[in-house]
Amino acid sequence: MKSNTFKFTAIFIIVVLAILWLLPVYAMLTTSLKNQEEVAKQEYIKLPKVPQIQNYIKAFKILKTGLKNSIIISIPATIICVFFGSLAGFYLTMFEFKLSRIVFFWIVVATFLPYQIVLIPITQYLSWLHLLDSYIGLILIYVILNVPMGTLITATFFMKVPSDFQEAASLDGCKSFTFYRRILIPLSLPGLVSSAILVFIQIYNEFLLALALTRGPRVKPVMPVLAELKGTQIAQWHIQMAGAVITSIIPLIIFIILSEYFVSGLMAGYGKE
Amino acid sequence: MKYKKIEGLFYLTPVVIIVGVLYSMIIWDIVAAFTGWEGLKATWKFVGFSNFLKLFQMRRFWVNVKNNFIWLFVFIVPTSLLGYVLAYLFMNIKKSERILRQLFLYPMALSFIVTGTLWAWMYDPSSGLINAILKSIGINTSKFGWIANPKGAIYCMIFAAFWQYLGFSLVIYSGAIRGINFDMVEAANIDGAGHLRIMFQIIFPNVGHGTLLTTTMLAITTMKVFDLVWVMTHGGPGIKTEVLPFFMYRITFSQRHIGMGAATSVIILILSGGIIIPYSLWALKKWIS
Repeated sequence: MKSNTFKFTAIFIIVVLAILWLLPVYAMLTTSLKNQEEVAKQEYIKLPKVPQIQNYIKAFKILKTGLKNSIIISIPATIICVFFGSLAGFYLTMFEFKLSRIVFFWIVVATFLPYQIVLIPITQYLSWLHLLDSYIGLILIYVILNVPMGTLITATFFMKVPSDFQEAASLDGCKSFTFYRRILIPLSLPGLVSSAILVFIQIYNEFLLALALTRGPRVKPVMPVLAELKGTQIAQWHIQMAGAVITSIIPLIIFIILSEYFVSGLMAGYGKE
Repeated sequence: MKYKKIEGLFYLTPVVIIVGVLYSMIIWDIVAAFTGWEGLKATWKFVGFSNFLKLFQMRRFWVNVKNNFIWLFVFIVPTSLLGYVLAYLFMNIKKSERILRQLFLYPMALSFIVTGTLWAWMYDPSSGLINAILKSIGINTSKFGWIANPKGAIYCMIFAAFWQYLGFSLVIYSGAIRGINFDMVEAANIDGAGHLRIMFQIIFPNVGHGTLLTTTMLAITTMKVFDLVWVMTHGGPGIKTEVLPFFMYRITFSQRHIGMGAATSVIILILSGGIIIPYSLWALKKWIS
């Protein structure tokens, strides 16, 4: 009996908190679909009378170049990070190498370092290379900053592959790259998906570098554009909220469809649990 | 293992080069912190510690340092504690009901810019959601400035981050709780121990690595805060919500004091190094075992 009451209490607390956690996003969605008069009434919990799709059209017009730029930058950067990361992860888990530990240590440190501290050298390096305000420059920087995380997460997943597999394969004369391509990658596909999701969301959501390394709207990713939208549409809450929804769609869809991978990636990247 | 080392260099080299570039940037920072570089042209004229001394004499700098420490202390404890309590509650309910967990996790997928835009509106004194709700239940909200209130602004911002990161500590603690030996919990149950006792005296001491992880990661997050400040208050009211990365950005890109910006980076590096290096040593130990 006692445990049943507790279960009921537990669910009750969880549901109340969950409602509180959902409330901001619920209000964001309803407000994004209202017209100005409805917003001015400040009845934020009420649903809009007629959903105002034109808010989204207006916000999308402002954000679309940014969205395109973000996709052009995030996808290749993610693929490169996971590819190089998985190569290094393979090496660190499957080869005996004295310096492995040192390399691993510096990769962990690099994963968690606040990247803000290298902002100034980044701008210097890119201006030497004449890559400021370019797709290549941003992709390059995002690769540099996220490869450590890609390595850490893929290595954690590779450790779950039994070492017998690799010994048996090498006895059969299987070359290391064949093993990597034919056995390790297919076996660890969920791990690769997890690290790709985390790296992608990290890059797509990034703001400071996207702001500091671009000038005009030509290559500027979407997050600085959204921040500008907030500045130019002061008190136009419905437009701001529509913009916030539009920029969140991609990471939220990824999260909703692949949340299991997202969670296991988090645990691998941070917990090795 | 059977593979030859030399073959392996092919796999490791790209990452070693990339990480090498990253560390070269840190060295660049440290060197630049001792130069009197101002403006666009590089001037590698060494001025010793004068950038640091100048920083230490600025009141603004100390306000920033204080704010970083407020973040550190006010953000970590509630986020990890509630995350732990939630993880415990989730452990006690049916599997099918765990779908509710997603409702705490989705903010993790949002950008700080989205969170900031959303919460800046929630906190808006004249037309924000929070004051609108308070007004509708008959509370006089003229005193509640939220992020416009110089004293409260930083805590409002920390609450937005708490909203976003609760799911993170929930995930880490759920993993940690799943890993413990449940015999003691059963035994305590039979002894008639209450849930509070089980939660804090029996399970909590056994999820130490979960606590270490959560608090470390949250601590690192507080060192990185920039986006929220930029989009919610731009450091205001006055400089009440400025933090070191924001200060670094301002001094480098608005005032063009490259040397002092680099010196600020070095200070952030030292503060976060104190968190990251012990953690990485611990991670390394786990990795080897």
